[in-house]
Amino acid sequence: MSARQAWALVRDTVREAGARWVFWGFYGLSTALILFFLFLLRIDVIEGARATVTLFGETSPRAVPVERLVRGFQGAVAAFLYVAGMGLAIFASAGLMAAVVEPGRIEWLLSKPLPRTRLLLWRFAGNVLLVCVNVSYLVVGVWLILGSKTGIWDKSFLVAALTTTFMFVVLLSVVTLAVVLTGSAVLATMVAFALMVVSPLLAQHRLMVKLLDSEFWRDVWRFLYYVLPKVFEVGKINMDLLRGRPVESWMPVWSSALFAAVVLTLALVLFARRSY
Amino acid sequence: MSDDAAIETHGLTRIFRRRWRGGEVRAVDGVTLRVERGTSFGLLGPNGAGKTTFVKLLLGIVTPTAGSARLLGVDFRRPEARQAVGYLPENHRLPSYWTAAGLLDFAGALSGMDPGARRRRIPELLELVGLREWADVRLSRYSKGMLQRLGLAQALIHSPALLFLDEPTDGVDPVGRQQIRAILRELEERGVTVFVNSHLLGEVEMFCREVAIMDHGRIVASGKVKDLTAGKGYRLTAARVPEAAFEELRALAVTAAYRDGLAEFQFRTREEVNRAVDLVRAQGGWLESIIPTSSTLEEVFMRTVRAEAGEETR
Repeated sequence: MSARQAWALVRDTVREAGARWVFWGFYGLSTALILFFLFLLRIDVIEGARATVTLFGETSPRAVPVERLVRGFQGAVAAFLYVAGMGLAIFASAGLMAAVVEPGRIEWLLSKPLPRTRLLLWRFAGNVLLVCVNVSYLVVGVWLILGSKTGIWDKSFLVAALTTTFMFVVLLSVVTLAVVLTGSAVLATMVAFALMVVSPLLAQHRLMVKLLDSEFWRDVWRFLYYVLPKVFEVGKINMDLLRGRPVESWMPVWSSALFAAVVLTLALVLFARRSY
Repeated sequence: MSDDAAIETHGLTRIFRRRWRGGEVRAVDGVTLRVERGTSFGLLGPNGAGKTTFVKLLLGIVTPTAGSARLLGVDFRRPEARQAVGYLPENHRLPSYWTAAGLLDFAGALSGMDPGARRRRIPELLELVGLREWADVRLSRYSKGMLQRLGLAQALIHSPALLFLDEPTDGVDPVGRQQIRAILRELEERGVTVFVNSHLLGEVEMFCREVAIMDHGRIVASGKVKDLTAGKGYRLTAARVPEAAFEELRALAVTAAYRDGLAEFQFRTREEVNRAVDLVRAQGGWLESIIPTSSTLEEVFMRTVRAEAGEETR
């Protein structure tokens, strides 16, 4: 029975997303990028090693190594996806998470014979599924197009889908907690965006620790750096993997995963106890 | 606690603490109540009496501060307690992106019904609430009355043994109300326990066999409707009653008033009304009518709530 309920909740999330323009915009943007690579960008490979690019009838003045060209395009798509795509995904998903706790609807849902944690968890999963499908659609689509145009099938680009979805899950856990605490999609979005914005600043912790006078503020900075999700650094790992560079440290990944696990657990515990 | 009861509560309490101003509100205050299976039960009370909070407590929507309850013999804290329970919330907002058939399918799935059972049940229910032609129309195009009828249908999707309805006829036109009453009667005949929360006393009186009156979070009166409204009396209407006689009769009567130039008195006993008749005639007044009366639920309600308010002020 729980599988039936889980599937119903995921289906409900997908259905609700379908009724919101922002999700169509999200998929539309991915489709536009795919169409750009498919029709507008022409890549002429010269003797299998170098290539020229033609865009809107303008051809690049000199040929560049094909591999570098493909990696460049893939890097641009991955960066765009990681920053703009994720921002849009958070914006769209916050509304979906907040809809569950809307007065008049939450009472109805909670009266059903299923544990509260499951109700929230499957809505969370539905959101992740929607974003994962969209991100994979874009990444795999661009990978297939670039591969078929250049003959370079660089699988490391596919990791971009994984890292973007991973960081989305981390930020969605924050959105979920904010929604459980406040019921506000706007506030939840703001909190997630704030974490995205402060992440590059916190990432400069070595420099900041040297610059700060007070030991107290140095500790505060270190604490925030280690506790909060490392959006910037996971993004850097994403690019390193894409370019075949060795990853310096996986700490940003596991500490962000730990953060998400704690925050999501807290959200579930609070949701299970809350009165509506 | 006995398993025969559809609902059984013991000292159920919910206290809301005011975060900023301090103090507390006892929304539900030590309610002990028993509703037998197969009963149509009405919970009445003025706005803010705690009726909705009480139902929300039973359904696990609001967490209790103290007390215990069982729904159909199962501890109300467990999700299984809601397995055979249907609920139509007050001011519900059913997801408007579903069609009626889609929403019922979703509600059925959440209640654990298998797809085959849902497919069979949905057309039946849509027919029952008069929405068959609207099965594939999105809820965003429904009127309030239609949404209310659909709300009832979703509460019935899994053929519950216990049904909670919070203001079920809210926003429904008279024809729709009659339809809802007929559905509820049919359910009662099938042995479904129907618990109605309403401020529409007439509705409750027409449908429910048992009621409880709630005020300030407490049950202040409860029993069978026929017992509560059994307080019989006589209404005497007379014309040209002199002032001195009116004052004398006022002292004797339960209520006394002038309405449309006529004096109206309510007496409890036959002896009292006979004495009043003698007095009116002796003072030169004209009798218009003497009508035997029984209390309406509204009168019982008003009397109880006023008595409670009196208690509060004392």
